[in-house]
Amino acid sequence: MRKVVGVVLFGLAAAAAVAATFLPFSELLISLAPGQPQTTYVTTGWSTRFGGTRDEHGPLFAIPIVVAAAAVLAGVRWRKAAFAGAAALAGVTGMLFVYLLNAISFHKEGNIAIDPALEAGFGNGIWVLISAVVLAFGAVVVHPDD
Amino acid sequence: MIGRPTAIALIAAGVVLTATAMVLPWYSTAYAGGVEVVVRAWGTEILNKPGDWPAGELSPWYGVPVVVTAALLVAGVWISRAALAGAAGQLGAVGVIAALVMSERGHAVEQQGDFAVGFGLVFLAAGTLVALAGAVAVQREAT
Repeated sequence: MRKVVGVVLFGLAAAAAVAATFLPFSELLISLAPGQPQTTYVTTGWSTRFGGTRDEHGPLFAIPIVVAAAAVLAGVRWRKAAFAGAAALAGVTGMLFVYLLNAISFHKEGNIAIDPALEAGFGNGIWVLISAVVLAFGAVVVHPDD
Repeated sequence: MIGRPTAIALIAAGVVLTATAMVLPWYSTAYAGGVEVVVRAWGTEILNKPGDWPAGELSPWYGVPVVVTAALLVAGVWISRAALAGAAGQLGAVGVIAALVMSERGHAVEQQGDFAVGFGLVFLAAGTLVALAGAVAVQREAT
């Protein structure tokens, strides 16, 4: 029974981590001129977009996340790989969180003169990613040693 | 197959390399007019900052997660699982830095800046791989 629960948790953790890469990690909503509609600046694991314009050199955070998720999934067969994968996923999340925390602050400070009503903050992606880390460690705890 | 003393020595070497990376520049971009943006573990330094430089500072403390992983590596001398967690966690953190470096390099080339990887990043990458080798060896010794 514990093995089944462990396998399900490994699958959920990997799926949540991969799903997080498609969700916004951070968002900035800003009006570039008085009376104009707000433009959205969104960073996901695969792209950085300002309105309809894609940053050609946006950081691909999704790559280390997907690799760590694959290691977590390998835990179905090799438990130690899952532990290392969960730790790697935690490392990715920690570093990404530090980067986003400062980027959001930079967005606010750098643009507040342009639009005092701007909104900047974390997107759902980072919370889903943190949930994936918790699920991955949960799976490691639940999954029995072979 | 390497013995436990060698594995521990590898972890220790990884920690020393990582600690050295904490005080060296990680990467930098030089622009026209002598403006240079230097990224370190504890923030971004802008040399010859022009008067019209945008407000706000994109200056993350990348060192914070690395200090946590290095502490886990040190704990790994006594608890083998902590070494694996530290090394794997640091590898994940370095993965994010690698994504940022590729991005910054692309932006620098686009804006005709001169991008350079610093010794800090080289030490961090080397420290991570050496510590990972030690952590894996400690795990094998434990089984």
